[in-house]
Amino acid sequence: MMIISIIVGCILGVVIGFITPTIPYTVSQYLAIAIVAALDSVFGGIASNIKKNFDMKVFISGFFVNAILAMLLTYLGEKLNVDIYLAAIIVFVGRMFNNLGIIRRYYLSKISEKSKKIREKDKK
Amino acid sequence: MKNKNAYIAIGIVCVVLGAALTVQIRTMQGENSAVAQAFANSELKDSLLEWKEKSENAEKDLEESIKKLEKLRDTSTANGNSSEEKQEELKKYNQILGLTDVTGEGIVMTVTDSAQSSTAIDMNNLIIHDSDLRSLVNELSNAGAEAISINDERIVSTTAITCAGNVILINGNKVGSPFTIKAIGSQASLYGAITRAGGYTYGLKARSIQVETKKVNNIQISRYTGALTQKYAKEDK
Repeated sequence: MMIISIIVGCILGVVIGFITPTIPYTVSQYLAIAIVAALDSVFGGIASNIKKNFDMKVFISGFFVNAILAMLLTYLGEKLNVDIYLAAIIVFVGRMFNNLGIIRRYYLSKISEKSKKIREKDKK
Repeated sequence: MKNKNAYIAIGIVCVVLGAALTVQIRTMQGENSAVAQAFANSELKDSLLEWKEKSENAEKDLEESIKKLEKLRDTSTANGNSSEEKQEELKKYNQILGLTDVTGEGIVMTVTDSAQSSTAIDMNNLIIHDSDLRSLVNELSNAGAEAISINDERIVSTTAITCAGNVILINGNKVGSPFTIKAIGSQASLYGAITRAGGYTYGLKARSIQVETKKVNNIQISRYTGALTQKYAKEDK
């Protein structure tokens, strides 16, 4: 179910992306940050769904506030001539790996449980 | 029900993600990103090194072939007086063409770009151009120079001195300031032609270009390393 919604969403997104015109080069930096924020949100959503503490308000607000803060940091970095957006990227990617770890553990334990059950059945 | 909402929300974020990714990739395809430029740079460096190696190898090959040719000439003219005369003649013509290393008296000039770097003066006047070198070579030839080289590039009958951006090409090879111009010939006449009042070096000095002229008794000028070939000119019968 989860995988289906992700795949359908991505395909729809790619189709929309091909229809919309390309953006100017200077804006592409901000879009890149938004992409990383969206990726982080997707992983966070899946992980919280697995932990059964998914909250719609937290999910939506997290996505928008994180993306906007990251874009503001990029803008500030451009004005100060410091690559502050790197900090946002590091935090996002670090969280992505954390969430990926949670997702991985969940599915690994699921698989091992299944195989245990099969073995027990075989014994009987 | 709560679960279903989660799927929809994640799906919507995925739509945004997919759209943003596609737009971003399409935008970056047309641009010269820093990464793409770095790639292009390193590729260019690689090919430059490759070509340098190739040209070095070619030069080595050429040297070997010249040695072989000399040996063949020696062996083919080893017997008989007439062939010895021919050998002498051949050597003489090769020397005139600039295909042999030569030594003799003459002058050595060092011409260096002006040390001034004022923006008030026209920068064009402070640097040495291909036309300056051509004029100097012309002056030396007029004074009876028998062999001329600029930064070890021998001036031969087919030599062109051309401008290529911030360097000068002689015989197709890059040379830059300071230029060392060696000329073999009558010391007095060469020195006189170069240093005479109103001569070309007077104009250069007026442009604050540094010119140094020395009389030297034992100048060595190396041979022209390229190939002298003619494709269209045929001998009249």
